[in-house]
Amino acid sequence: MSAEPRDPLEGFDTTIHAPNRLRICALLDTAGEAEFGLVQKQLDLSASALSKHVTALMDAGYAGQRKAVRDTRQRVWLHLTRRGQDAYRGHVAALRAIVGPSDPAL
Amino acid sequence: METNGVRPTPEQARSALVDTERIQASAQALAATPWPNWFFITLTLYVAALPIAYGGAMAGTDWLLPGPAWMGIMLAITAVYGSLFAVAAKTWRNKTGVALRFDVLPKRATVPLAVGLPVLLLGAPFAFRVTGRPLWLIAASLTGAAVSVGFHLAFVRLHRKTS
Repeated sequence: MSAEPRDPLEGFDTTIHAPNRLRICALLDTAGEAEFGLVQKQLDLSASALSKHVTALMDAGYAGQRKAVRDTRQRVWLHLTRRGQDAYRGHVAALRAIVGPSDPAL
Repeated sequence: METNGVRPTPEQARSALVDTERIQASAQALAATPWPNWFFITLTLYVAALPIAYGGAMAGTDWLLPGPAWMGIMLAITAVYGSLFAVAAKTWRNKTGVALRFDVLPKRATVPLAVGLPVLLLGAPFAFRVTGRPLWLIAASLTGAAVSVGFHLAFVRLHRKTS
């Protein structure tokens, strides 16, 4: 007995889909863990905007943070939780499903 | 662009995916940052020295040095390597701002390395012990050093390609 194939569109996640959150998730999913300042620079976001999106992701249980001292200053390192990774990958699968299977560029 | 629960159009989804892939490529370039040269040299020297020191420690009879001396050398270089690795990893993380990952290169390269290098570095001393021919150790040492150089160059190329 095999399970019903899951509809990829079910993975669409409105928390992640806000563009900056999708970009934050993309970076963290690839990097594993990234310093707050680096994420800010890479995505060209203000500290307050990044902080707001990270808080939303953390509230959803998708992201976590770790504090570490570097050059006598405290730095914040961000990462996706397992749940966040699953949600992000499910969301990307949903986007691919929306685009359609025949797009050769993706 | 908050969507308020409304699914994007195919064009919007496509644009989001393209943006996502651009960010992933940029993060991948950071993750593929090669080791600093001083640590690359340390790693290569360690990989080259390990089979010889282990072979000396494993030898049935004293080979060049007494067995305990070889064992002491092996433990000392391993301790020094471990300490320098910790320093290099911390420096690398602070410089790049991303986590150190061992899955940056494709699996077709890393799986043979993960299996082959320990077999080479530990198997050659056993072969030396059985045959008494130091050629095994020299071959393992040179091969290990060549693999280290090859992987460093692969990271340099990947870093440049994705930057």
